[in-house]
Amino acid sequence: MIVWLRQVRALAALAVLELYRRKDLAVVLILSLLILCPLIFFTPFGISGASRYVNEMAMLLIWIFSAVIALGVSARLFPPEFESRTIFPLLAKPVGRGTLLVGKYLGACAASLSALLLFYLAYGVLVGVRQGVWFPVVFLQALLLHAGFVIVVAALGLLGSLVLTPSANLTICALLVGGMFFYGQRLPALVAAQPPPANAILGLIHWIGPHVEFFDMRRRVVHEWPPLPWRVCGAVMLYAVAYATVCLLAARSIFMRKKV
Amino acid sequence: MATNNVVELHGVTRRFGAVAAVDRLSLEVRQGEIMGFLGTNGAGKTTTIKLMLGFTHPDEGTVSILGGAPERPATRRRIGYMPETAYYYPYLNIHELLRFYGGICGMDTATIRARSARLIGRVGLADAGRRLLRHYSKGMLQRAGIAQALLHDPDLLILDEPITGLDPLARIQFRDLLLELRGEGKTIFFSSHELSEAELICDRVAILKHGALVWCGAVHEVAGDGAQNLERIFLRQLGEEVAP
Repeated sequence: MIVWLRQVRALAALAVLELYRRKDLAVVLILSLLILCPLIFFTPFGISGASRYVNEMAMLLIWIFSAVIALGVSARLFPPEFESRTIFPLLAKPVGRGTLLVGKYLGACAASLSALLLFYLAYGVLVGVRQGVWFPVVFLQALLLHAGFVIVVAALGLLGSLVLTPSANLTICALLVGGMFFYGQRLPALVAAQPPPANAILGLIHWIGPHVEFFDMRRRVVHEWPPLPWRVCGAVMLYAVAYATVCLLAARSIFMRKKV
Repeated sequence: MATNNVVELHGVTRRFGAVAAVDRLSLEVRQGEIMGFLGTNGAGKTTTIKLMLGFTHPDEGTVSILGGAPERPATRRRIGYMPETAYYYPYLNIHELLRFYGGICGMDTATIRARSARLIGRVGLADAGRRLLRHYSKGMLQRAGIAQALLHDPDLLILDEPITGLDPLARIQFRDLLLELRGEGKTIFFSSHELSEAELICDRVAILKHGALVWCGAVHEVAGDGAQNLERIFLRQLGEEVAP
């Protein structure tokens, strides 16, 4: 068990170190702060209520950036190992393929979640300075559910990285996640309104696609609505873990049979 | 039956479609020897190495490494492998690379630190310790490769084209390192195109042609004899004309 933990830690640390060394995160973080700071201190037409819409835009940016980082990191977990041939010395070590997969996935999650934490910290501080409300419960719930979103997206990106080229993986995952994020709630109505075979395709997406809209608490945070009951948060997190587990099991099945 | 063979391949065949990349190959590597594995491009050297590492499985025959199946973790703990031209993680330095591979081998931090400090000096990368691997030359990456292969103190080293792309000085240092390792009782199996290097350091040499073993023998039997050196044997086995 200790050996397994050391192996997983080494793999996870590699993903985190690479994210920070590549400076992807620094670029995204600086970019987001450059956009967030003026937005937060901007009062459109002197109407203080309009600042909510500005906050909503800031939250949307955080969602987009977090998805970009989670997908970018997870989609890059395996293809470079094959391209640079480092998969060979890795597989020659006394480590199972399942352990490799788990370690790399946890690394992608750790890297993406650390970036998410930085985004929320920046947003929380800026809103706190401006509105005098520091990290309310609803904000922490939003962070928790956003973490659920990240673990789902990272699992999806990892699964895609084993079957698709990096660019195809990024495109398909981005379309799926973006589509579900914006239209997930309307899918049942869309399914009912479409003729065959479009309804069958949309129905399939509805059943197997990641319902990332479950994790979206932007409006609750921006409009300062009361927090969700914790059991609802728990159920949504359970969905995230279950979805990520299914993706990982599928990825494991593919990776175990993958020829090197 | 007790044997001092570290590697045993018996009648191993590996086909890709209709092509036999490895064809009824039987080969033994004895403990403490340096075995050179020679052949032209596409002769089946890398496929044989993949079979020895358990990356792929034979269609026929058996592969035994250190008395067990190559894919067993207990066997892999005793194997060090260096692939042909790997571009190791560009955003790590050599210390971090070895810490990563040490973790993968399940080693504790203190052991990794002690062994990597010694190995980095031994492979001649002490001056480049803090540089990221993306700034390394090909020769330096090869050294990093041998360091990761030696990190967990394996009994058997499998090196795929380790000398390719090295400058003359690096080749000499590499050769000295392999001879030192043999002196420590390590068994070394390496594939190469470099006949002169093989002649200098190998105890025995095996020549592969179209996946089949065409010659296997001790280097000292042929070395230094103008009429019968390794190059001539190699060319003859490949069916090439040899000038008198």
